[in-house]
Amino acid sequence: MNTHTDRPVFLDLRKIRWPVMAFVSGLHRASGVLMVLLLPVLVYLFELSLRNEQGFQAVIDLMQSMPARVLGVLLVWLLAHHFFAGIRFLLLDVDLGMEKSEVRKTAWMVHAAAIIATLLVVGGML
Amino acid sequence: MPAKAFLPQRHGVHRDNGNLFSMCILCLCGKLFWQLRAWLAAMSRKTETMRFLIYRYNPDEGKPPRMQEYRLDGFDSGDKLLDALLRIKAELDPTLSFRRSCGEGVCGADSLNINGRNGLACITPLNELGETVEIRPLPGRPVIRDLVVDMEQFYHQYRAVKPWLTVHDPEPETEYLQTPEQRDQLDGLYECILCGCCSTACPSFWWNPDKFRGPAALLQAWRFLADSRDQATGDRLAELEGPYHLFRCHSIMNCVDVCPKGLNPTQAIGNIKKLMLKHHV
Repeated sequence: MNTHTDRPVFLDLRKIRWPVMAFVSGLHRASGVLMVLLLPVLVYLFELSLRNEQGFQAVIDLMQSMPARVLGVLLVWLLAHHFFAGIRFLLLDVDLGMEKSEVRKTAWMVHAAAIIATLLVVGGML
Repeated sequence: MPAKAFLPQRHGVHRDNGNLFSMCILCLCGKLFWQLRAWLAAMSRKTETMRFLIYRYNPDEGKPPRMQEYRLDGFDSGDKLLDALLRIKAELDPTLSFRRSCGEGVCGADSLNINGRNGLACITPLNELGETVEIRPLPGRPVIRDLVVDMEQFYHQYRAVKPWLTVHDPEPETEYLQTPEQRDQLDGLYECILCGCCSTACPSFWWNPDKFRGPAALLQAWRFLADSRDQATGDRLAELEGPYHLFRCHSIMNCVDVCPKGLNPTQAIGNIKKLMLKHHV
C-alpha cells in the first residue's frame, strides 16, 4: 500500500469529544488495571494484620490516616464502578441496552450507581 | 375536492358566486401564508457573526498544520455547516480545501470532525453548533491538505471483508430469491454510505488501522453474513478470527454515537461474535 508517512495526522485527544459510553469503557479498563496492581499491596497489608498484634495495630493505624481513607474511598468507588460497568458490558453481550437511545442512559446509570454505592459503603463505615 | 366544500352552503347564493367567493378567500389565504412565511424566514435569519476555526495544512508550504479563523454572518436558519464552508471558500478564502459532493447526506464525502465530534457537514445545522465552530479533519487519518484526508486504509479494510455476494451454487436463471423476512435482515446494514465517521471515531481503529477492520467494514461483513443468498459464511468468519480483525472492538460505541445514518456497527459486531461462537460449537 502506498502511504505518505510525512503527512500530519489529527489525533489530539483533548480536542475530540468523548461520549459518556467511552468514559465508562475507559474507566472500566483503568479501574481493572489499578485493582490488579493494588492487589499485592492489599495482600501484604492483610498478611501483616494477621501476623501478630503489633502488625494488626500497625495496619489499623495506617488505615485510619487521612491519605489512606481518601484512597480507600477511591478504591471503593473504582470497585463499584468496575462492577456496574462490567454488568453493563455483560448485558450488551446479550443485546440488552444495545439501542442508541439506551447506551447513553445505561452509561449514566453506571456512573450514578457507582457513586450511590460508594456513598452507601462510606456512610456505613462512618 | 372542490374549494367550495370548505365553505358553509348558504341559501339564495348562486352556485357560481359561491365558488368565486371561496376562490377569493383561498387566494387571500394563500397570499397571507406566503407573506407570513417570508416574514418568519426574515425574522429567524441569523444576524450574529459566527466564528469558524478551521484546521489548515498545505503540504507545499512545509509548515505544520495550524488553525485559521474565519468570521461570517447572514446565515439562514436552515443553513448547514457545508453552506458555511462553501461561503468561506467563495467569499473569504479560495485556498480552503474540503471534500463535498451530494450535499444531502447520501454520498458521505464531507465527513469532518465538528466541535470534536465526527459528522457530515451537509446535514449538520449551523444553529445547533453555537457561536464558535471548530472544524478539523477526521481523526487518525493522514491529512492530504486542510480538511481532506487519505482514506486508503479505511477502504483497504472495507475491501478485506469482501463486500460482495459469494455464491457457490450454479447461478439461477432469473434472479436470487429472498423472502421479505430474509430481506428484513439487511435493514440497518445496507444503508451505510462509507463516510468513515464511525471508524475514525474508534480508538481501536486509531491504534490499529492496519489490523483492526473498523466498525464500517465490520458492519458490511455482517451485512453479507446476514444475507440469506451468501454462501461464504465459513470463509468470512475464518477471515475475522484472531485478536485484531474483529476482536479489537470493546463496545465503547463511539461508532453508534456518531453514525450520521443512525446505524449500529457495535450490534453488528456482536452478531458476528455470536455467529462465530455458534459456528464453532
